[in-house]
Amino acid sequence: MGSVLTIVVGVACAVGVLISMLAMGVGVERQATGNVRADRVILSSTGARGNQSSIPKDEAVGVRDLAGIKKGVGGAPIVVFDSLIPIEAHRRVTGVRIFFPLVGTTANFTEYRPEIRLTDGRMFRPGLHELIASNPCGHQFTGFEIGDGRPIRGADWIVVGHFEEGQTLQCVVYTDVDALMSAFNRNTYNTVSVMLQSPADFGAFREALQANPTLHLEAQHESEAVRERFIGLKGILDFAGYFVGAIMAIGATLGAVNSLYAIVDSRRREFGTLRAIGFGSAAIIASILCESLLFALPGALLGGALAWAFFNGLAASPFGYSFQLAVTPSLGLIGIAWALGMGMVGGLLPALRAARLPVATALRAS
Amino acid sequence: MKFLPLFWSGIWRKPGRTALIFFQVSVAFALFGMLQGLKTGVDHAAAAARADLLIVHSRLSFLAQSLPAGSLEQIKSVPGVKMAVPVDIFGATYQKPTQGLGVVAISLVKDWPAAFTFTVAPEYLAAFQKLRTATLVREELAEKYAWKIGDRIPLMSNTAQMSGSTDWAFDVVGTFRDSDVGSGRDNILINLAYLEEARFLGKGTVQHFNVAISDPKQAATVSDEIDRRFANSPQETKTESLLELAQANAQSIGDMNFLIRAIVAAVLAALLFATANMMMQSIRERRVELAVLKAVGFTDRAVFLLILAEALLVCVTAAAFGLALAALILPLAAALVVGLSMPRIVLAIGLALAIGVALISAAIPAAMAARLKVASALVSG
Repeated sequence: MGSVLTIVVGVACAVGVLISMLAMGVGVERQATGNVRADRVILSSTGARGNQSSIPKDEAVGVRDLAGIKKGVGGAPIVVFDSLIPIEAHRRVTGVRIFFPLVGTTANFTEYRPEIRLTDGRMFRPGLHELIASNPCGHQFTGFEIGDGRPIRGADWIVVGHFEEGQTLQCVVYTDVDALMSAFNRNTYNTVSVMLQSPADFGAFREALQANPTLHLEAQHESEAVRERFIGLKGILDFAGYFVGAIMAIGATLGAVNSLYAIVDSRRREFGTLRAIGFGSAAIIASILCESLLFALPGALLGGALAWAFFNGLAASPFGYSFQLAVTPSLGLIGIAWALGMGMVGGLLPALRAARLPVATALRAS
Repeated sequence: MKFLPLFWSGIWRKPGRTALIFFQVSVAFALFGMLQGLKTGVDHAAAAARADLLIVHSRLSFLAQSLPAGSLEQIKSVPGVKMAVPVDIFGATYQKPTQGLGVVAISLVKDWPAAFTFTVAPEYLAAFQKLRTATLVREELAEKYAWKIGDRIPLMSNTAQMSGSTDWAFDVVGTFRDSDVGSGRDNILINLAYLEEARFLGKGTVQHFNVAISDPKQAATVSDEIDRRFANSPQETKTESLLELAQANAQSIGDMNFLIRAIVAAVLAALLFATANMMMQSIRERRVELAVLKAVGFTDRAVFLLILAEALLVCVTAAAFGLALAALILPLAAALVVGLSMPRIVLAIGLALAIGVALISAAIPAAMAARLKVASALVSG
């Protein structure tokens, strides 16, 4: 009984830790890709991304004439010009300073981002020092209540609205791109975003872009652009998860070997009898491996359940990037596979010992 | 000490089992050491950051706001300031959009690199001063991209030159090391005078000033005095020491504490079950031997202590082995994460936990052994 419990608890802990740690990477991915749409395209200057990308205004305007772009209200193509500036905020609880992106954007961005829903206040007005902030901003940082002024470049910028943008926990603040660029003396946009008539128009759009010699821009599906941004963080988190998970799995496997040896020893007579009535070594090995897998399985389920209970939906913000841990069924499957691996490896040596027991001595055992 | 052979034979009664439990405990404590080393290492590195080096940046925004270069003289005149230099920074990419690096433009003052956190060979410094387009690259970065002295490295940025081009090229004249844990790993140094001349926008401004003060204890006073001189001007400043900045950074990783604690708790829970189970089995198999010990005059108390001592010996040596392993591995990982180290406090906590695990897991088996009835044990055996 104690031996079985040792296997179950050991496997449960190893699987629980593995799943909880991998849940961070899944959370990051889910948050980043939650709002991604196949019909959105992001353009940046060739060879550059995000803040490094710089697109002159006249070049940006040229994008409007390309093929495949969806027309918005009033027949204007849905093309949005963005400028990103990192701005600092202070955490509500600890007062710690972190940076978040202030996104300057054009007035038609609500057509490009239909998922944005104002929950309070109103939209920012073009040309004015006005901001709208996503709801997580107010929950995490100070100074995002409606009417609050945030000092940016020597002037107070007023928060005029709050919005919801899917399930993300990341603080995002939008303002008018022209107001932002003139405040920061910029004359180039960072990125240009485009909504296509349908995802299938991407090829035609890219061809039109490449055929135009005045545009030195690179087009990426939104999914691809977003992926480039989170893949580094996800890689680090996943590496940490598998590293810690592997060490715990080694520990749990050692524990399982020990326990199964004890189980085999206490049933020597039984195995002797089975051999005596004609069961071969293979059958005995198989039966012990099956038993070992059956002990590992409840461990995996218990570990997965604990990980889900403790960590699913937990907010984390390592390196200043806030997201929710997500324990998903596919992580559960990884946990089960991992547990079966531990059971298999852990059961092997004890099974061989049981199969090799000389029948005569085994039957004489107490 | 005369009982040592007795526990020794008890421990090695089943060498296979003892070896397995030994490795299980070692693995658990190696993991504990690495996780705790990560956390305490980061905290220690932050605490070791220099308090006598200040950074003066704009109060309005740390990153996106610049200060007039002319503020330098006013900063220098603050009592307690030993040296002040203007610094500008911009981001660039090398070859691929994913290979970003920080371009740090400095104006070289004699003795400055040594006064700050940089280590540069004198011949590199001389070469850097001679060539306008020179760059000193961080050693790790030079290794990463296999840059050699004499290479000309092309960079893309969003900082425009007078010609309108946003491409820059710099000549590698040497390498440097930087002991500041807060600064990025992928940095290169260039001449501020060259940047000032070549750039289209932002002339006459810098991103921040590096200030060295004579007495680290005066950091707060000097910082306040610098900020006071610019108060109520359009260029209000905020002065912070590298120590304060490093502590803020360490806190941003602080959210991981809950996770690390949960993992350590899971490791210890699994370990408790495993060691308790091992001791139970061992007691069950040794009923007769223990009964004989009692029959020859060992008291219940002595048997109880004997079993506890066995568990302690295995757990503590295994934990020490595991912690030593973690101490060996951590410096390798330090190449990936700056500031990892294993402070002694982690070793002490680890050994204390090992003692705890041994005592808790062996308590019930030891009590069972102590309560063993000699006659019935000998009969059943």
